Amino acid sequence: MRMLPGVLRTLFLAALLPIIASSGLAQTRYIITNDDVGFPLPNGVSFFTENTQGLLTFQHQLNTGGYGIGGGYFGEHRLAVANDGQENCVYASQAASGNIVGVIVSSLTVGGVAFGSTTDTGLSNGIGLVTAGGYLYASFTDPNTIGTFKMQTGCNLMFINDTTVTGLNGGVINAMAANGTMLVTSFTDGSIASFNISNGTPTSNGDEQISTVTRKTYYASYPNQIEITQDGHYAIFGDTSTATAVEVSNISSGKLSPTVAYGSLLGISSSNILLSPDETILYAVNTQGDAVSAFFFDKSSGRLKYGCKSGPIKGQSGSWSYLASAALVSDSGNGGGVYVAEFGAASGIALVRYSASGTGKCTMQEDPASPFLDAKSTGLLSIGTVTH
Amino acid sequence: MSCKSKYSVALALGLSMSVMAYAQCPNRPSSGTVVADAPSIVSQNGLLSAQFTMAQSVDNFGYTHYCYKYTAGNQVVESPTLRLNPGDTLALNILDRNTPPEMGGTRMDMSPSGTPVCGDTGTATVSSTNVHFHGLNVPPKCHQDDVITTLIQPGSPGFQYKMQIPAAEPPGLYWYHPHVHGFTEFQVNGGAAGALVVEGMEKYRPEVAGLTERVFVIRQQFLVPWVPGPYELTVNYQVAPLLKGVEPIIQMKPGEKQFWRVANATLQDFLALQFQVNGKPEQMEMIALDGYPLAQTRMQNTISIPPAGRAEFIVQAPPTGGTAAFVTNSVSTGPTGNFDQEQTLATIQLSHTADGHHMPSAAGAADASALKFANLSEQPATTQRQLFFSEEFGGTNGPIQFYITVDGQKQKVFEANEKPAIVTKVGAIEDWTIENRALETHAFHIHQIHFKVLEVDGNPAPHQDLLDTIEIPYWEGSGHPYHSVKVRMDFRDPSTAGTFVFHCHILLHEDLGMMHKILVEP
Repeated sequence: MRMLPGVLRTLFLAALLPIIASSGLAQTRYIITNDDVGFPLPNGVSFFTENTQGLLTFQHQLNTGGYGIGGGYFGEHRLAVANDGQENCVYASQAASGNIVGVIVSSLTVGGVAFGSTTDTGLSNGIGLVTAGGYLYASFTDPNTIGTFKMQTGCNLMFINDTTVTGLNGGVINAMAANGTMLVTSFTDGSIASFNISNGTPTSNGDEQISTVTRKTYYASYPNQIEITQDGHYAIFGDTSTATAVEVSNISSGKLSPTVAYGSLLGISSSNILLSPDETILYAVNTQGDAVSAFFFDKSSGRLKYGCKSGPIKGQSGSWSYLASAALVSDSGNGGGVYVAEFGAASGIALVRYSASGTGKCTMQEDPASPFLDAKSTGLLSIGTVTH
Repeated sequence: MSCKSKYSVALALGLSMSVMAYAQCPNRPSSGTVVADAPSIVSQNGLLSAQFTMAQSVDNFGYTHYCYKYTAGNQVVESPTLRLNPGDTLALNILDRNTPPEMGGTRMDMSPSGTPVCGDTGTATVSSTNVHFHGLNVPPKCHQDDVITTLIQPGSPGFQYKMQIPAAEPPGLYWYHPHVHGFTEFQVNGGAAGALVVEGMEKYRPEVAGLTERVFVIRQQFLVPWVPGPYELTVNYQVAPLLKGVEPIIQMKPGEKQFWRVANATLQDFLALQFQVNGKPEQMEMIALDGYPLAQTRMQNTISIPPAGRAEFIVQAPPTGGTAAFVTNSVSTGPTGNFDQEQTLATIQLSHTADGHHMPSAAGAADASALKFANLSEQPATTQRQLFFSEEFGGTNGPIQFYITVDGQKQKVFEANEKPAIVTKVGAIEDWTIENRALETHAFHIHQIHFKVLEVDGNPAPHQDLLDTIEIPYWEGSGHPYHSVKVRMDFRDPSTAGTFVFHCHILLHEDLGMMHKILVEP
């Protein structure tokens, strides 16, 4: 299973529909956050519900019994969502504690807590998570390893082993995405690489390379967050840059091909990206700017075309400093826009709506009711959705 | 020139002293004590000759000190103030006795093949050093004020700087500090920085004649010794506690006027200085900025100094019974910048026995129009350029890329073997518009020359001061214009010929590449 939020909508629909059908229960869709709270305050996962207009209401924070670091890399997903065979689980990393907590969604209780090796920590820049094929992969930034964990019932994890990784110029593992038997990673030096995970533990596909944009900008930009298309043909990288820059690699051969760059000068950085459910829109969060951009994506050719950018998201410099990861407003069609994590002293969730306004045109606009305060967070970077 | 005060150590110069390889930096003053000026070394018969040893040690609290040690007889002092007159020669030997780093430590290739070497060869490490004479209008040549190729390695026999202070050099406060690209922050954070005074201010600003002169170097050190991050300020090496502790003490006579020369030798702190009397900011009489006398004195109750900037001003103590404090206000440097907190730098202690070095009492009437750059605003610019600051963040804790870019060129970080980003010729007068497109305030600095501030945010600058470092505020986001300054650069003096650098003087930014070269062809 791919990591949140790229495919969770499809997985959970698939996983839950039979249950729902048999039980006749209505689904509840949560917007979830890894509050990433540092010592001495306890970390937790917060759950928000949506009303029919997509406006959020805080419901609950589950204390996960550890500590975050209140920051780190933008491209890491500190939350992953999967079904362990019996339960729907939310996995949350706790960088300061160096562990991963499995949350049972049905009861909103902690199922298990797992550690990697004794050297696996994310103290400086966090721990990223992705799930696939019954395994959870954790990127530990400090030792530069990918920890492989076997998913077990009760939202437990069993640590298998570590794979040491590094960028071609010594970069630290940044973001991960997975689809089928392929795990794709980005590094802080502009390197990208893929791994075969058919046997659980990642094995290099021998395709590590410096991204096209990184090379052309003399290492001034580099790939950060990653999305993979549902058919596994393309890996898309949102770049950390002084502009909006996105790169696409054809991976249909089972290896990364040289990336093709797309961009716009209208936004500052695009470290976080998210594909719409129908894969027609790629949302790019202007991490260092104050907006969210949208690209039109042609999933048959892998080409992108810049679409539009929202106006300034409220509260920059005041309540928040950066925008970070995004979650879809809707699990169907073009997604209807995104919820965006606001990193700052008063962390919140912005609601930015998308609408098509004619062929090849679009608008993105922050909802007047946005943002929704995540009062339990002091450094919100990772959000997602889960359905129960 | 003779020794001037009991705070100065009158060090007879020209002495040929053998320098001992002391393992430790001198002890630094305890908290809550009276702040003393650094001892001075004064030029004699047109020559200031001295030898500094760059050393390092770790104190009882875990702080790594880097220091310029000066030894005269049995006395060992740290970062003495160098005092010269226009036209004097500065001959400064530097020995690097830092502990060599362990193999595998961070290194930077300062002199890749094909680039000239000045001093020692090899790769730069955190223990390598050199010296930048910040603000001095002297040539960018080997053994003068070159930081691009000059390298002094630990244990090497030493390196001599020798330069003549221009006869038309503006009188005022300058400073010296290490400038090895990639490692500047470590050594300056450890305390390796000192003041340099070009004498003669009373000849241009008679207001200071006869006043007690104080030289304060504001430095900073990390709050947790081994963690770059939160920091605390120091006043002449005495900690000004941010949270709790006893503040440094500055002594003044009741009602006394003093001439204060303050250098911001912090890594990144934008100071907003106030002299508060009975809790309220008093007017201060500003005399000079960045070592250049103002055309007219200005009364201000807050004086802003960016990192590396200097301000010289007159303060007046309250009468007996009053209270006073030397304070820096909080400064917002943007959403990705450091928050510079309000804090008391020192409390003023009124004492009838307070004493200090006095400025010469015979105020002169020197011709300010003879100073370097004095007629710059009357000269037409031969070239216009646009530059901008920008940043990239891969996460809240980095990795971060810091850029200063000449508009039209690719954004890239500084590399030792890069070609100059700007090429000009001796004789050129250039107007540079420098924008800040980052969400963090930056401090622009160019070596070798002062520049004249023409415009701020597109409007004529209210005071067209001559500076060597200037703050450019952060961008407030979409819908807001970039903040900018327009400054006039003067390359008419043939002594500017050579290659030197311009950069952000937040030292982490400079170390990480927010810097480029300019070549001034003869």
